Amino acid sequence: MNIFEATFFAAVLTATAPVVLAALGGLLSSVSGVFNMALEGQLLWGAFTAVVFSYLTGSAWLGVLGGVLATVLYSAILSVSAVTFRADPVVVAVGMNLLALGLTAFLMRQVFGVGGTYTSPDLRGLPTLADLGLDVPVLGSQSPLVPVTLALVVAVALWLKRTRAGLRLRGIGQHADAAESLGLRVGVYRHGVVLAAGALCGLAGAQLALGNVTLFSEGMSAGRGWVAVVAVMLGGSRPYRVLLACLLFGAAEAFGFRLQGAGLPQQAADAAPYVITLLALVVAGAAGRRRQTVEAR
Amino acid sequence: MSGGPTVDGHDANGQHANGQHADGRDANEHHTDGREVDGRGVDGPVPGRRGAGAVVALAGRIVLAPAVLAVAGALVLTTLVMLAVGVDPALAYPALVRGALYDGNLEYTIAAFVPTLGMALAFAIPLRAGEFNLGGDGQMALGGVVAAALALNVTLPAGLGVLLPLVAAALTGALVAGISAPLRTRLGVPAIVTTLLVSTPAVALASYLVRFPLAEQGTGNAQTPTLPDAAHLPALAGSEYVTLGLPLIALLTAAWLLADARGVLGYEIRATGSNREFARYGGVAVNRLAAVTLAGGGAFAGLVGALIVLGPPYRFVDGALTAPGYTFTAIAAVLLATGRPVAVPFTVALLTILSAGGPGMERDAGVPSQLTQIVQGLIIVIVAVFATVRHVRRRRNARTEAGA
Amino acid sequence: MAVSPAEPPAAELVGVSKRFGPVVANDGIDLAIAKGEIHAVVGENGAGKSTLMSILYGLHRPDAGHVARNGARIRLRSPADAISHGLGMVHQHFRLFPELTVAENVVIGAEPTRGGVLDLAAARREVERLGDLYGLRADPDARIDGLPVGIRQRVEILKALYRRAEVLILDEPTAVLTPGEATRLFDVLRTVTATGASVVLVTHKLTEVLAAGDRVTVLRRGRVTGRFDTATTTADELVMAMIGRSLGPATPRRATRPPADGPYALEVRDLRVRDRDGVPRLDGVSFGVRPGEIVGIAGVAGSGQRELLDTVTGLRGPGRGDSGEVLLSGAPVRRGRHPAVAYVPEDRRGRATSPGMSLAENLIMGDQRTPALRGRLGLSASAVRERARTLTERFSIRAASVSDPISSLSGGNAQKAVLARELSRGTPVIVVEEPTQGVDVGAQEQIHALIADARDQGQAVLLQSSELTELRALADRVLVMFEGRVVAEITGEEAGDERLGAAMTGATTGGASGTTTGGTSGAAS
Repeated sequence: MNIFEATFFAAVLTATAPVVLAALGGLLSSVSGVFNMALEGQLLWGAFTAVVFSYLTGSAWLGVLGGVLATVLYSAILSVSAVTFRADPVVVAVGMNLLALGLTAFLMRQVFGVGGTYTSPDLRGLPTLADLGLDVPVLGSQSPLVPVTLALVVAVALWLKRTRAGLRLRGIGQHADAAESLGLRVGVYRHGVVLAAGALCGLAGAQLALGNVTLFSEGMSAGRGWVAVVAVMLGGSRPYRVLLACLLFGAAEAFGFRLQGAGLPQQAADAAPYVITLLALVVAGAAGRRRQTVEAR
Repeated sequence: MSGGPTVDGHDANGQHANGQHADGRDANEHHTDGREVDGRGVDGPVPGRRGAGAVVALAGRIVLAPAVLAVAGALVLTTLVMLAVGVDPALAYPALVRGALYDGNLEYTIAAFVPTLGMALAFAIPLRAGEFNLGGDGQMALGGVVAAALALNVTLPAGLGVLLPLVAAALTGALVAGISAPLRTRLGVPAIVTTLLVSTPAVALASYLVRFPLAEQGTGNAQTPTLPDAAHLPALAGSEYVTLGLPLIALLTAAWLLADARGVLGYEIRATGSNREFARYGGVAVNRLAAVTLAGGGAFAGLVGALIVLGPPYRFVDGALTAPGYTFTAIAAVLLATGRPVAVPFTVALLTILSAGGPGMERDAGVPSQLTQIVQGLIIVIVAVFATVRHVRRRRNARTEAGA
Repeated sequence: MAVSPAEPPAAELVGVSKRFGPVVANDGIDLAIAKGEIHAVVGENGAGKSTLMSILYGLHRPDAGHVARNGARIRLRSPADAISHGLGMVHQHFRLFPELTVAENVVIGAEPTRGGVLDLAAARREVERLGDLYGLRADPDARIDGLPVGIRQRVEILKALYRRAEVLILDEPTAVLTPGEATRLFDVLRTVTATGASVVLVTHKLTEVLAAGDRVTVLRRGRVTGRFDTATTTADELVMAMIGRSLGPATPRRATRPPADGPYALEVRDLRVRDRDGVPRLDGVSFGVRPGEIVGIAGVAGSGQRELLDTVTGLRGPGRGDSGEVLLSGAPVRRGRHPAVAYVPEDRRGRATSPGMSLAENLIMGDQRTPALRGRLGLSASAVRERARTLTERFSIRAASVSDPISSLSGGNAQKAVLARELSRGTPVIVVEEPTQGVDVGAQEQIHALIADARDQGQAVLLQSSELTELRALADRVLVMFEGRVVAEITGEEAGDERLGAAMTGATTGGASGTTTGGTSGAAS
């Protein structure tokens, strides 16, 4: 087994892309001072709604669009309760994650008439870059959303560092009262980023359900949203570090699949990404410095 | 914004039930007295009030209690979901109630009450200290596996044959949950994240053990063989599914309620949850306490795993522990109790009925049972909003009273 | 008055009243700030200074009265409104963004851009230009959290000047400065007023007022009780207006007889403590407190008091590179809270109480494991209540019910509750931090009496306070800290402002040098 081959890197990218998208949403929320733990539920909701819209319209791209819009709507639960009503975002997130699990399982039975997993030849998945005539190594087998994801990491990094709004968002997260007294509209920014996180999770869900595969199954987010939360803890407000943390997870998942191919039980593959993520937390924590960033939340 | 992972302890947590009315009028009774006023909105009237006005006020207080509002709001929203997808609520709700309470289903519901209450303690105990334990599934699954392995491999006399697996399972759960404590106290990673991250590998490990080393040979089913008779939890008289687990968990719950309200440790835990620095200042070993509450919660989760495995059908069936979703039903119930431990058994009962009725509703009215998860999720969100609104109002009142 | 009708005041508060619940914070206050002057606003804690400035800066809206700029009435709904009307404020607790740079902090909210992108180069130039203009130099690329307090204050002032503030309000600006830094600040303020802008200086330090101000307005209990030109007034006149009587010898409560010449109840030896970044915070501190003695700790904020008291009370465990020991009655103690040390912390809501818990529950913290509170099953509810009732009575704590949350008590009563809990324990050692901060004048007297009583009963008291008058009234000896060291030891009687002030700058005063750390430990043997 050679892990240094193109297909392995491709598998890492496949596994990483949805996590990175969700983590970017988490990062933006966290920079603004809202602890967004509802990524898991939003990711799942995004996957489901993307499949529904792809099924209804017969177009994968309309599926992506529908998934994004539906998840923005879903994230409004967090933005309204945590920003407007100042409810505890952690408790709200616990509720939203459970709600997404229930809603998707319930609605899939109502819409598709099946439980467990839904797939159909009529369901349109995203094309690969190769399908679009861009048969570049590693990326060729990926959906167009994968390069978009990488571009978004760069865009978020630049936006935070080089724009007015980015600077203001960072200020708001560090000292909301001070920002408010300078005339910055703290609520508007926070609503904005929580909804943007919804859009990113919708994109993540679409990539998961229409890019990585072309199906929906119950609970298919499988903890990726939580890994994204951890990635934000590890990377702080620095998008490239968050990307690195996500890549670590993606590598663990891809490696897990390989192990399974090599005869290890499926459970080992299931557990691998979480064990690696935990180890990363421990290592990063032990290396010090983490302390402040994590506690500051 | 601070608050952070440990959640501003007092919203979901801690707190003396002695506050303002939910409707915002100032409390005209300053001392309902006694220590913890019990779960208003769920059970009986507060003594010491007389007259029609008081009755109306009390009724108003019950109707406007956050818990009642949350359940009502969640049901309204759920009904909207039903209508949106063309389900007739007039069919679904009766089917739900029937599925939980009638047609001989009550026994199943009571049987489901036991693990849900146990998991509620697994979540509530650390929450009192401000820690979130979302890893109940893993703690429960590994507890169950250890109980099954012991029962299958160690021959013990009748009494001990039950006791030993129960204790071992509790210890296992405590250990699994306890892993999160040093991560929280030394590395500062919130328990809500680590408990959950540990949970998935723990469930995977349990699943692996049940499918391979402990698997029943020759059937191909992912389950252990039936446990020896000595390890069977005795069923209560006149019942097939309700075992000795019910009185056991009831007893432990009562002990916890007492310890929380009256115990020194209970006081220290509540103080830690409501202001960690205050407790540290008072000489409480807050880090050790975080570990103790997490392990204590984990012990209950492990115990629940054993109670399920040692009860009918007396074996560990892969997925049977986690599939019914006891962990999250319990979390919803605890949050619904809004920081009043005495209310927990009642909210657990309510939500157990809701989720136990799900399969009946699916069978009779053709409505997917996942509807009950929707209700639970909505309850949590709504309770979070109401709890803050009340908290903010109380703080505002306190500030005006305090003056300069 | 210098204000002529031809030139309306730069800023004016007219008939301003503001209540909070039953408390009247401002009662028909008139205040006019002329162009180009430094106008001091003085008064005791709770006199209404902060409320008044909050109204001028748009943080509170007055119940009656209004604000005017250059003679025209304006409406301030928020600080942003105030900023756009040319008002700027430097809060006592800075409102800076810790992880942003100086330049980013200065421009945020009004950033220069080029082609839609932040123009950080322009921001940097602007910081440097303003710095040169007013003598407020700061490295534009430095992150705030790595800067000393004095520089942070400069950034706050730069922030206001960048927004073209014509009226600059400073709330207790010297609380965090050494006397030397304070002098430099006043020079800067003079440069600011020279450009035609005005400065409002809120303070309770009269020497500063007389040295730096042009005119003074004195507040007491929400009303104006005096207006003076600093050129023609005296400190005594100001004191009369501030407290309604002249100060006299501020009820000294120093010990009537010298403490027993026995061993120390509390002793620290050569404490060395570093913070997380490895910066030394305590650099070889040694001293002792005898039974029946109050030892005061003075110093500019951040001179190591926090670390010293956290180490003495055991709340701070030894870190890497820390050394030295804490001894109680001659025996070294391990880290962690020690039952023989009672402690009244400065941070009342964050550390000394749990606002969400009841008064009774707050009153037992620290004693929850003592047998006196034991019942058959853990804590005895009746013993807890009984204790709460006894303490509220003995320490005259006003509360509707002991089962009400402690957050419903007033600041003074909550502070008395904390003192009641800690003093009633009768421990050999008591550590007290800022005992009268945010407490009304009546309660202040009571609190001072309680601390003096504790001393007279033979308890050893370590008292940290930023109020020099408080130290002078209570302490038998005052230790002055600077940069993590005890640089001077002064007896209570000779603790005049100049002696203390000089020591607080780090200029070790000649006379006291012999009595610093080494001298006291010598006396112990």
